[in-house]
Amino acid sequence: MGASRGPRLSGMQKQVLSLYRGFLRAARAKSAEDRQQIESLVSSEFRRNAKEVDRKNFLYIEYLLRRAKKQLDQLRSPDVVGLSALNVSFSQTKHPTN
Amino acid sequence: MALRAALLRHVRIPAQTLNPALTLTGGKWGPPSLRWMSSHDDHLTKSEVTERVLSVVKSFPKVDPSTVTSDVHFQKDLGLDSLDNVEIVMALEEEFKLEIPDKEADKIDSTNLAIEYIYNHPMAG
Repeated sequence: MGASRGPRLSGMQKQVLSLYRGFLRAARAKSAEDRQQIESLVSSEFRRNAKEVDRKNFLYIEYLLRRAKKQLDQLRSPDVVGLSALNVSFSQTKHPTN
Repeated sequence: MALRAALLRHVRIPAQTLNPALTLTGGKWGPPSLRWMSSHDDHLTKSEVTERVLSVVKSFPKVDPSTVTSDVHFQKDLGLDSLDNVEIVMALEEEFKLEIPDKEADKIDSTNLAIEYIYNHPMAG
């Protein structure tokens, strides 16, 4: 077994991964359809930011982390069935009736 | 052998009559009921864990199933990123009905570590 062969994760990276895990966990509690939708949205949003955001832009990353934490708290509520879009203002909790 | 069997048969009868309390508390379930909560009675075998871990990893969309062995690193060998790594560990959680805490989950970065962790987890089912 030995030590991990992967790159060491920074504290910030760990926070991001922990949030990602949190979103996927919260999605498990939703219906199969909502879950699938949440997962694909969360996955593409995290990947987009991973690619686009400068990894040294700590201030902005901290902002994104704070925003995501609030969104996650809202998603955990049983009334919330989905995320409309992560880049939309997080004050928008309820799933739009489309 | 015949003598041993005879002896065992002989010893068992008095044991039952001498210990009525035990048979009463044990009920019709007998001695096994004393450790019915034990996690090791129906523990998964290593080969079963290995097989199921590999099948979860192979079914991951971005993975070429032919490259998956019981000793591949998710990121270095399979070309996945850290978010994929999280997804794989989450898929393993569902497969084995576990919840792996963040601290542990962050360490699981290869099939080998996944197999070890799950095999040693008392609740894996």
